[in-house]
Amino acid sequence: MRHRPALPRTSRRLAAAAGALLIGAGLVAGAAPASAEAGVGYVRLAHLSPDTPPVDVYVDDPAGKVKGLTFDAVPYGVVSDYLALPPGTYAVSMRKQGADPASPPVLTQQVTVTEGSAHTVAGTGRFADLGISVIDDDLTAPPPGRAKVRVVHASVKAPLLDIRAAGGPAIGTGVAFATTTAYQEVEAGDWTLDLAPPGGTGTAAACTLAGGTTYSLLVLDGPDGLTTDLKVDAKAGEVTPTGGVETGAGGTSGRSAPLLAGAGAVLLAGLAAGGALAARRGPRRTW
Amino acid sequence: MGAEPIRPASAVTRHRWGWPAPVRRAVSLGLTATTLVFSATAGTSLGFATRADEPPPATPRWQAGFRGAAPVDPVAVAGPPTEVRIPRIDVRSTLVGLGLGAGGELTAPADFGTAGWYERGTLPGETGPAVIAGHVDSYRGPAVFYRLRELRPGDTVEVRRGGEWLPFRVVATARYPKDAFPTEAVYGATPRAELRLITCGGEFDRAKRSYRDNVVVYAVDDRAARLPESKGAGPRSW
Repeated sequence: MRHRPALPRTSRRLAAAAGALLIGAGLVAGAAPASAEAGVGYVRLAHLSPDTPPVDVYVDDPAGKVKGLTFDAVPYGVVSDYLALPPGTYAVSMRKQGADPASPPVLTQQVTVTEGSAHTVAGTGRFADLGISVIDDDLTAPPPGRAKVRVVHASVKAPLLDIRAAGGPAIGTGVAFATTTAYQEVEAGDWTLDLAPPGGTGTAAACTLAGGTTYSLLVLDGPDGLTTDLKVDAKAGEVTPTGGVETGAGGTSGRSAPLLAGAGAVLLAGLAAGGALAARRGPRRTW
Repeated sequence: MGAEPIRPASAVTRHRWGWPAPVRRAVSLGLTATTLVFSATAGTSLGFATRADEPPPATPRWQAGFRGAAPVDPVAVAGPPTEVRIPRIDVRSTLVGLGLGAGGELTAPADFGTAGWYERGTLPGETGPAVIAGHVDSYRGPAVFYRLRELRPGDTVEVRRGGEWLPFRVVATARYPKDAFPTEAVYGATPRAELRLITCGGEFDRAKRSYRDNVVVYAVDDRAARLPESKGAGPRSW
């Protein structure tokens, strides 16, 4: 990646001003965003065309508000981290590896980002009919103790696949090359997924799916037949704590500026005495 | 300070009870040894020390039937986080592991001067909301996260893992009553590596010996987006 996305200066100032207002208002409860960063959506880039050599991938904001960025030489099978982008419509372009950035791109596709939305923008299909697909990602968390998984089929070695969790639900049936299944909820835990052409024998993949977490399973051309790569779309911790945290003993509570000023002399005297004590006791390791 | 009641020895397992100065002076040497013993026996409920040698929680991995080297997860290899630093508010602390109390609540570090990370959450630098908590104060004065409330969007928080400082950018701060803690916002799944810093705030309820509110700082991964290694076998040149 050559550049980092950047908010325009005005937006930054607005955000800072809004933040300052919130802080000034004493941080009203519930003011924080549902996800940490308010006002962004997510895009990640992928190369899922098995017979296409590495490509340079560009993300540009035609409105010019966000600085363009580039991933160089993205090979088949790669899915990038998510980029956080302000809502808007972006152009994702692909060029042959090393091609002049000023040259016309081989492919361009628009993706519209709204706050909290997430998209995987991927080069898909065989090289002969290469296209850019926008795959919408659903990052809403599954219920506690359950995981969400879908299959992104990007291998030409098995044009059709049935994917089933051993002793569990089918993840996808008759899934065609260059398509993506819907998310399927499963119990969190260890699973073996069987990937097989309809009526045939296939490959088993063992995995651990964590509760509260969303996955995309990439099915790829490997050196010998199929291979898989489990990508985390959104992840939570293993166990969600209950409520808040007891992180204070009150030693600084009730302090106010006038009180402090009034008690200044007393404090100073106390500090002097304490200092003498401390000198004898050595450094205090903890508060 | 002298008005504080002297606590029984078992108080060492309860982080909320500070040691009155006279007792601390009298038993400081013995206490160090005692603490070590209690740490070993009570480490599970306290959530520190005993898990330090264990590997980090397993990262989901797929092992399909193909040849080649086993995938190596650089994050898992890096191990647990060891240190946090926040230059803007002059904070630098080693990190202890934190677990859950009997009621399923996140326990705070035993030491007022040391922050801790939640071991059954996500690892800092890995996708998900990693959580670091520290005390705002002790019985006597400010503690490690006393100035956490001063953080503002744009500030940098760094977490050390495997010899590397991972940068996070503060995007929001908030204060919530503990009885209306926004569990989903703080602990819910995230699409990138994020960080939550938690301490206490608001009014101190002397009857309950507890602050009414929690202060939460939300931060996101400030590294450039990365391209993971491909597990596929495609043409590597034109």
